[in-house]
Amino acid sequence: MEEKKQCKGCGGALPFVIGFVAAVIAGWVLFPNLLYSKKVQPIRFSHKIHQEQGMECSGCHAFRDDGSYAGLPNNDKCMECHSDVVGSDPAEKLYVEEYAKKGKEVPWLIYQYQPDNVIFSHKAHESFECKSCHLELEKSDTPPVYYENRLSGYSKQTMKMWQCERCHAENGVSNACHVCHK
Amino acid sequence: MGLDRRGFVKIVVGGVAGTLFTPVIWQSLDDVSIWSQNWPWIPRLNKGEVKSKAALSKLCPSGCAVKVKTVGGLPFAVAGNAANPMSKGGVCPVCAAGAQLMYSPARVQSPMKKVGEGKFEAIKWEDAEALLVEKLTALKGQDGKIAAISGDETGTANEVISALLAGLGNSGTYMMPGEKFVAEKGVKLMGGSGQPGFDIAGADLVLMIGADALDSWGATVANQKAFAATRPTGGVATAKFVYAGPVLNSSAAVSDKFLPVPPTATAAFALGLANQLISAGAVSSAPDFAEYKALAAKYTAEEVEKATGLKPETMKELAAMIKAAKAPLVIAGASFGQGAGALDFVAGASLNVLLGRVGSGMTLLPAAPKAIASSSVSEKDAASFLANVATGKAAVGALLVYEANPAYALPQAGDMAKALGNIAFKVSFSTYMDETAALCDLILPAPHPYERFDDAMNPYGVAKPTYLAGKPVVKKPVADCKDPVDVLLGAAGKLGLSLGFETYADVIKAKAAALGADFDALTAGGIWNGEAKGASLNLGASALAKAAPAKADDKTLALAPVCKLAYGSATLATPPANLLTVRDTELSGKDLFVQMNAATAKKVGVAEGAKVKLSAGSGEMKARVHLNEGVAPGTVAVLLGFGRSAWDEFTKGKGDNVYKILTVSDEAGTGLKVWAGSTVTVAKV
Repeated sequence: MEEKKQCKGCGGALPFVIGFVAAVIAGWVLFPNLLYSKKVQPIRFSHKIHQEQGMECSGCHAFRDDGSYAGLPNNDKCMECHSDVVGSDPAEKLYVEEYAKKGKEVPWLIYQYQPDNVIFSHKAHESFECKSCHLELEKSDTPPVYYENRLSGYSKQTMKMWQCERCHAENGVSNACHVCHK
Repeated sequence: MGLDRRGFVKIVVGGVAGTLFTPVIWQSLDDVSIWSQNWPWIPRLNKGEVKSKAALSKLCPSGCAVKVKTVGGLPFAVAGNAANPMSKGGVCPVCAAGAQLMYSPARVQSPMKKVGEGKFEAIKWEDAEALLVEKLTALKGQDGKIAAISGDETGTANEVISALLAGLGNSGTYMMPGEKFVAEKGVKLMGGSGQPGFDIAGADLVLMIGADALDSWGATVANQKAFAATRPTGGVATAKFVYAGPVLNSSAAVSDKFLPVPPTATAAFALGLANQLISAGAVSSAPDFAEYKALAAKYTAEEVEKATGLKPETMKELAAMIKAAKAPLVIAGASFGQGAGALDFVAGASLNVLLGRVGSGMTLLPAAPKAIASSSVSEKDAASFLANVATGKAAVGALLVYEANPAYALPQAGDMAKALGNIAFKVSFSTYMDETAALCDLILPAPHPYERFDDAMNPYGVAKPTYLAGKPVVKKPVADCKDPVDVLLGAAGKLGLSLGFETYADVIKAKAAALGADFDALTAGGIWNGEAKGASLNLGASALAKAAPAKADDKTLALAPVCKLAYGSATLATPPANLLTVRDTELSGKDLFVQMNAATAKKVGVAEGAKVKLSAGSGEMKARVHLNEGVAPGTVAVLLGFGRSAWDEFTKGKGDNVYKILTVSDEAGTGLKVWAGSTVTVAKV
């Protein structure tokens, strides 16, 4: 009898609900913070400033003659303008002194980095808008924080295979292995 | 309200249930599956633009004009340069492995100083160069105290080395063995001068006596392209190829005829053929024709059969083939590219004179202009030099070893390695940790061909004066290395000598200018060609009269080292990828197979698979026997390129080194050191 009284005091379904809600909050709020480490780009590159200079996206992010995509520009491209410091921004000074003049490429953090066993053709996806897959950076003054998955080592924005497959399926494109894995 | 055990369990259950509605489990599983693929040893791709850049790859003895494919600036594959006439899109099997060899674990990563037996420590370039200068300063002006061995037959680096030594009061620049040196001696014996060339592309019958022209002799890729051009797909062959040599090698395998001739009897074969041709009406306007005719007459069909085992009718058929050809060409050389005597060359070349093919089939190249006036062309051979070091006749204080591996690739290699121990200070300019570098006191790592300027003047065998040059493909070497010539030019400056240049690139530019060639066009994959000089040669009869007849010996076998370019060269161990092409009948585990025909095996009392010991001089090697009817009678064939004691895990300790049992003798009449006719005893173990 004594035990039954004590049992009533433990709140019926309330502890279950508390545990459930706490887990849901932890899973959706705390877990992502624990799973991803935050990193910043080695140089605070401002797309906004470059766009204000009248530059087109394709000026740096272009297709090569063989149809492959250049992705991010390397020093050869950047040094067309920044072989020496031309402005007053400390980020530019840092780039020129630490990378351009030392002949060292900037180790940019790639938000959509894919593993080597994926052959992604930008040419085949040319009809899509860049922002369908990439972060919208064209107006950013400071690059967004890079979230690195502590388990997989990839970026939070790296598209996973199920996402590729879903889009292919929705667009009637083959999901055969060889389409992406050569 | 207190929390009892039951309440706690309810919270936990609620928590677990709640977790199922979050990404915790599902994403963790997904991420862990990706993490499980992130092993550190998985190679990572270099991203970037794929380019194809022209380069001169001097990994093989003649050098290949190649196109190096790079991604993000780093080489990953090699192809022949279709625009270069020497390559026509072809590439030799060693240079094809060039990209892999750039990242080889055998590369010397930084300057190394010996600190104990087989122990080295990495040092800075400033300290390494200071040590070199200090040692050279101490010996400056003492003739014979400083010497250099070069394994690069075609590079202008030799001019820098000889000029530096001359400036230091020394003249000891020695060359590793090759065909060029012996052939030039042979041309002199025939009353001419210059490097001989051979127009394979213009011949309708090519007789290769010993020379493995379609695998390892001369400019192999150009030779192969010339051969291929005579074999149009679906068409009739426009030229005939005949190989006369000790082994059914790659050249013999694709030729119209293979004549097994022991390496000790190549001169007898050539003179026997001359006798057949003269009997069939061949005459020459050469002043010594009468003397030559009398000499050749001694090599009757029966005598040739005794020396070579070839039937008289075989020789007659060959003579008839040659007579029927409009543009026959004879190429004579050692089957493994070194150690033949000048008289072996003369015997073969005299057939070209007899056939009236000097100036058209066989050409003579004029001496190339120098880039450095104070330099000299070395006619001294490294084997004789180290033999003198071994006996104390040469007392050398400092030795510079440039692109050479004398501890491995000279006859009686064991003795040569010991002789190096008599030299107080040895410097190796090598890209790889080879057997010689491992014995040196200082290793100054040289760049890989894709990381340096280099050139190639008249690779042996070309019919016209030829010059190739290359520049670095990569922006920065993958190891902490420096161009040896730049190091030597820097040392010269510190020693108070001015050679007129600060970098090898400047030297090559000067060489190109002296030739009238465009440096930029050359380094973009081009070629410079001059004209062969007009000349007449005699038949070399007086020299050939001194040739010692081949000695028949029941106790020994003629040794025929076999060079397969795919298995490396005198300066390069087998590229790891090419090890996959080594047959089970050539190497099994760590056992190298020597090959002989069944009759020879019966004569020495061995059978297939038997373990044997081959010995000659003070050297011996162990192997197993493989019976091969493609080996000439009385001959044992042994592959070159095995038995490495340095290099890397892929090549080290596999098989044995045939150089250990090659024995040197003096050629009658010329005094040249020869070892192509070495003999060995074979005993069961």
